[in-house]
Amino acid sequence: MRPLDWWVLGASLAGVALYGVWRSRGSRTTQQYLLADRTMPWYAMALSIMATQASAITFISTTGQSYVDGMRFVQMYLGLPLAMILISAFAVPRFHASGVFTAYEYLEKRFDAKTRALASIIFLLSRGLAVGVALSAPAVVLTVILGLPSHWTTLIMGALAVAYTASGGIAAVTWTEFVQMLVMTAGILAALLTVIFLLPAEVGLREALAVAGAAGKLNAAVWRFDWNDQYNIWSGVIGGMFLSLSYFGCDQSQVQRYLTGKSVAQSRLGLLFNGVAKIPMQFFILFTGAMVFVFYVHTQPPLVFHPQAMKALERQAAFSLLKQEYDAAFAQRKAAAQRLDLPAFREAHGRVDEIRGRALALAGQAMGQERVNDTNYVFLWFVVHHIPAGVVGLIMAAIFAAAMSTISAEINSLATVTMVDIYRRFLRREERDGHYLASSRWLTLFWGAYAMVTALYAQNLGSLVEAVNRLGSLFYGTLLGVFILAFFFPRVKGTPAFLAMILGEAAVIAVWRSTDLAFLWLNAIGCFVVVASGCLLSAGARAAHRPA
Amino acid sequence: MNLQEEKPPFWGSWGRIYAALGLYLASVIALFTWFTWSWNQ
Repeated sequence: MRPLDWWVLGASLAGVALYGVWRSRGSRTTQQYLLADRTMPWYAMALSIMATQASAITFISTTGQSYVDGMRFVQMYLGLPLAMILISAFAVPRFHASGVFTAYEYLEKRFDAKTRALASIIFLLSRGLAVGVALSAPAVVLTVILGLPSHWTTLIMGALAVAYTASGGIAAVTWTEFVQMLVMTAGILAALLTVIFLLPAEVGLREALAVAGAAGKLNAAVWRFDWNDQYNIWSGVIGGMFLSLSYFGCDQSQVQRYLTGKSVAQSRLGLLFNGVAKIPMQFFILFTGAMVFVFYVHTQPPLVFHPQAMKALERQAAFSLLKQEYDAAFAQRKAAAQRLDLPAFREAHGRVDEIRGRALALAGQAMGQERVNDTNYVFLWFVVHHIPAGVVGLIMAAIFAAAMSTISAEINSLATVTMVDIYRRFLRREERDGHYLASSRWLTLFWGAYAMVTALYAQNLGSLVEAVNRLGSLFYGTLLGVFILAFFFPRVKGTPAFLAMILGEAAVIAVWRSTDLAFLWLNAIGCFVVVASGCLLSAGARAAHRPA
Repeated sequence: MNLQEEKPPFWGSWGRIYAALGLYLASVIALFTWFTWSWNQ
């Protein structure tokens, strides 16, 4: 990074944080602090919802994923428009009419206090586990690329996000996310236009598409069905719909966003806009990754993109031979691409891939791992080594914005659930509003500090980080199931719903432990088990109480 | 409680907006399929 990039990055970080504090000044009640007095317009909610969903690691990984595996990841978002329709039609009006602060508060109105408490605890456990990872994962990657100590990257992102979130509450989160989403969009467009501009003069868009397609990078629609593969049309539409229903319908970090809407119509428009805009946004991020691939067909990339892994590889005896093989295969692939001889290109590309696979395995052995995964480093390597000054700062600002928007939304929602569903409900029921407002601020600071400490610790956990992150998403289907029971099965009461949640969670964990089923399907299974067992238990309870 | 009472600011009813979004999804899938068949070979 050059001085201009640091200026762009610094100005963007400071500007976004100050804007959030300014827009949310004067939060004097819990209603203002936690729900922005229900005054948010649809466009602020829409961009804020999108910003929360786009974490930094998604931003960094998605482009790398496209470089390595093609664009099929985009299919994960195909269920989103259907989920937005269902949530707009059924969840938004119910949440608005009930006047709740959290999604789980609704469960007490519909069922009982223990069901609300269980759902709140599930949320706090799953989000609490994930919040440190959301902060540490981008910090680790940015550290390797920027050369800053990892604790500095973690503390800068964490402290800024905590400062404006604790100061202004949900209004600060929403308005900063509004600007952060604009910064992210500018960053994506800048990256895409720059990579196309950097392609050799003789490579037009048609040639670039032909080369990317020949390497299998433009697989945006895969119709072949496979239970164990989550990136095809079927799992994208059905599994993706359940994932989106769970996330947008039951996760407080998203529900709280549309509870702040001026009206049901404004909240619905915010969600539906997300359903329209998210797929093209992901398409362009992935397409950027495919174009980075084409760029590296014509400009030789490093054998391995992970800088530490590359250093470890260079110390191996087999490295020089491997490098010679790689240079030769790269030259053949480049020549075939220049001639647009696609069969020869495919063959040479297969050789390059195979050599890279051996290099990653060798680097992994040198670093004491089974295999190194350098997907997260592809895009940042390209940005830092090839993009002109100023644009690098903008793209880095977009990545920091993505990280901070996710973190601020998570600590805000964790603080809200802890305050409303645990503290105010079970510990201190009769305090004045000022006490709850101060408690909300302290809880935001607590969850922010917790996120930073776990993020610093998570950096030493290696592959466990991914496991913890996945563990968090094991709970979504159960939460979705209990909300479906609440909305559509009026005869199901509190205790059957509570027991059904426990059975649903047990089923998800059993399937996860005993099969290789693609993750997207676990949400559908959890939801189905909760709904089915809730109905059966409820029918059983009614039958038992019926006079003989 | 009438959950459908609030009218959308355009197109007259939420049903029409939802149908348009469904049509949008079908178009996106068709476009992705065309894109894949055209280039990914």
